[in-house]
Amino acid sequence: MFLARVKRKVIASAKHPAYEGKRVFVVQRVNPDGQEVGEEWLAMDYVSAGIDDIVVCGGAPGVAKEVFQLDLAPIRTLIIAIVDTIDYKDIE
Amino acid sequence: MKLAKVTGVVWATQKAKELNGCRLFLVQPISGMDEQPNGKPFVAADPRNLAASGDKVIVVTSTDAAQAFDSGFAPVNASIVQLLDDLD
Repeated sequence: MFLARVKRKVIASAKHPAYEGKRVFVVQRVNPDGQEVGEEWLAMDYVSAGIDDIVVCGGAPGVAKEVFQLDLAPIRTLIIAIVDTIDYKDIE
Repeated sequence: MKLAKVTGVVWATQKAKELNGCRLFLVQPISGMDEQPNGKPFVAADPRNLAASGDKVIVVTSTDAAQAFDSGFAPVNASIVQLLDDLD
């Protein structure tokens, strides 16, 4: 999984049925200091995240199918936790 | 599976219900030869409450990470499954 900041909400009118009633966000990877590094991703919300939250994102095959109880789930990356704080020590 | 060093704790009260009681750690993959960083850091779940900051651990990634949970399922793609004592 990776740390990211929630940037924007994706608005879409025509969507796959699996995306009905769900929120998708643009998330930007961050390092533990909150500094933006690396690429942007899209992630589906599973924890009621909001804009500017630091979150943990991740996904693996079949995960979305299971958590949303869908037969077909063309969804990979989920937001699975909203970060309060990070106790972090860089290794040499 | 990857060898990694636990570099931090990610505290999150609001998280996927499958992760209740499971801590999330920041881990840095390390080389088995010289323990130098070997790839980008990432977040891993610790379903068995094995790890603490500074520990060397074995992390299972992708679909199999869910197998580390007693329930057999959690929306994760990296789980700490063993503490590393030493390499021979």
